[in-house]
Amino acid sequence: MAHTTSQDPLLTWPKKYNEIPKAVFEMEELWPKELETIFYGEEWHPIVHRAEIPNPGDYKAAELGEMPIFAVHGEDGVIRVFQNTCTHRGTSLITESSGNKKELECPYHRWLFNLQGDLVGCPNSRDYSPSFDKKDFGLAKLRVEEFCGLFFVTMSDKTPPLKEYLGESFYEPLSRVLGGDGRLKLIGYQKVMYDCNWKAYCDNDGYHAPLLHKAFALLNWQGGKGVQNVSENGHLSFESELKIPDDITALEDGSILDFKGTETSTGSIVQMQFPVTVYSKHMDMLNIRYAFPKGPKGIEVHYAYFSHEDDDEEMVAHRIRQSSNLLGPCGLISMEDASVFSRIDKGNKTPGNAIFQKGVEDEHVLSFTVKQNDESGNLPRWEHYRKRMGFERSES
Amino acid sequence: MSTVSSEIISQIEQLNREYISALDSLDMTAWLNCFNKKGQYNFISEENHRRNLPIAFMLDDCYKRLQDRVTQVVDIQADSTEHYQTRHFTQLMSVEALDNGQYQAEFNYSIYYTRRDSNQTQILCVGRYMDVIEIAENAVNFIKRKAVTDTNVLPRYIAYPV
Ligand code: FES
Ligand SMILES: [Fe+2]
Repeated sequence: MAHTTSQDPLLTWPKKYNEIPKAVFEMEELWPKELETIFYGEEWHPIVHRAEIPNPGDYKAAELGEMPIFAVHGEDGVIRVFQNTCTHRGTSLITESSGNKKELECPYHRWLFNLQGDLVGCPNSRDYSPSFDKKDFGLAKLRVEEFCGLFFVTMSDKTPPLKEYLGESFYEPLSRVLGGDGRLKLIGYQKVMYDCNWKAYCDNDGYHAPLLHKAFALLNWQGGKGVQNVSENGHLSFESELKIPDDITALEDGSILDFKGTETSTGSIVQMQFPVTVYSKHMDMLNIRYAFPKGPKGIEVHYAYFSHEDDDEEMVAHRIRQSSNLLGPCGLISMEDASVFSRIDKGNKTPGNAIFQKGVEDEHVLSFTVKQNDESGNLPRWEHYRKRMGFERSES
Repeated sequence: MSTVSSEIISQIEQLNREYISALDSLDMTAWLNCFNKKGQYNFISEENHRRNLPIAFMLDDCYKRLQDRVTQVVDIQADSTEHYQTRHFTQLMSVEALDNGQYQAEFNYSIYYTRRDSNQTQILCVGRYMDVIEIAENAVNFIKRKAVTDTNVLPRYIAYPV
C-alpha cells in the first residue's frame, strides 16, 4: 500500500484545470487523508437547524467524518455540539437519531452530564485517581457558529469565521433558502444511501439539468435567467428564475408544481458548500441536504425539509406535497441524479481523466466566471480539493 | 378481526396480491387499478410517521397524483433508472370493519430487489402497509395505502412505488 510523504504523493494531478483523475473517485487510500485535511480540517460543516431541535432537551445525532457527535438544545436555550462519547471510558451517550432528554446519563458507570455538557455526577469518586477533577471531565465540545438558525461545526481553531468562510455571494442566497430569517419549522426527512464516493455525489453541475432531467422538457419547463457564483474555497451557488408554464399537459395534477412564492424568493437556488452539503430552494421547497460519507464508498444523505413559521395552513400543505414528490431519492425532478451518482462511480473504474468541457475557455486558467449552464463551476472546487490534499500538478 | 367474515378477508388478500404482483411485474396500469377514484398512496419512513413529520418519499393524495405516478415511472424516468426486479412478501396482520363498506387492514411487508447489472439480491425495505379498503358491489379497491417503512435510510434511490 502507498504511504504518504511529499516525495511520494498518492496521486499526481493533470496539468489542465478541466481534467480530474478518475482514480480520485476510486482510491481507498485517499480517505484517511481526506478525513485529516478536509473533514477534521479548516472547513465548516452544518449539523443542525434550530427548527430540528426547537425545545430544551431536544437532541440530534450526526457524524463528522468518522466521529460520532450530537447537537443538543440546552436548558439555557443555547445549542451546543458535543462528541458522542462519555468522558470516562468512551461509551456513546446518544443511541437514537433524535429525541429529548433531561440529562445525559452514561449507563456503564452512571456518570451524569447536564445538557450543557458539565459532569454533574460520578459514583464513588472518592476512590478516583489523585488528579481527578470533575471540572476537567465535561463533554468534549466542538467549535460552533450559527447562521439563520443553522449550526455549523469545525474541528480547527484556524478555520476563519463562518461568514468570511462562506462569503457573501454564498451566505446571502443561503439566508433565503433558510426562509429569509431562519424562522423555520421542520416538516420531515428523507434519508438514503447513495452508492458512490462522496466526491461523485457533490460533483453535480449546471450543464446537466435540462438534459438529464426529462421532467424539465416534458413539462415544457424553461430555465429562466440565472447565475452561478463560485468561490476560491470551493463553494458554488446557482440561482435562477423559474418559468413554469401555465398549462402542464404532461401531468394530470399540475398544482404540484405551483410556485406560490414569498417576498424573499427567487424561483430556484441550489448551493453546494464544500465539502459535501447541498442547500436548495426550488419553488416552495426549503431543503438542507446533510451528507455523511461512509468511508471511501457510499454516502448517506439526509434531506431535511422545512416550512416557515409565518406560513398559513395551505402553504404548509403545499410545501409538504411538493417536497415529498419533487426532490429527494424518489423525486420527479431529482431521481435521475441519484442514478447518475452510482453510474459515475461505476464508469470511473477506468483509466484516465474525467474531462470537463462546457464553459471551459482556457484549460490552463482557472476561471471564476461561469454561466448558468456551464459545468466549469465545479473546477474551483476541485482545485480547492487538490490543494487541501497536497497533490502536485504534473508538468506536462 | 372476529367481526369480519372470511369472505371479506379473502377479498382483501386478493386485492393485496393484485397490488404486489402489479409491482413485481412493473405493470403500472394494474397498480393504478388497485385504487378507486378516492385513492391515495403514501410511502413514508417510520421515523417521520412516528414523529408526526408529514414528509414522505412519495405522497399521492388524490387520484390524479396516482395517475401522475404512473406517468413518472413509465414516461418521465424510464430511461434513467437502472432497472431492478422487486419481490414483495406480505402478511396480513389485522382487518377491522369501518362504516360504509370500508375496512382498515394492516399487512407487514418485506421487499427484496435484484439488480439487473449485478444479479445480486438485497433488501429494499421492510415495514407495514396501513390500508383503507372499500368493498363495493363489483369492486374491491384501496382508498388508502400507506407504506410505512422501518428502513429509515433507504439503501438506494427508489424508482417505483412499493
Ligand atoms: S464509560 Fe461512561 S461512566 Fe464509565
Ligand atoms: Fe440534477
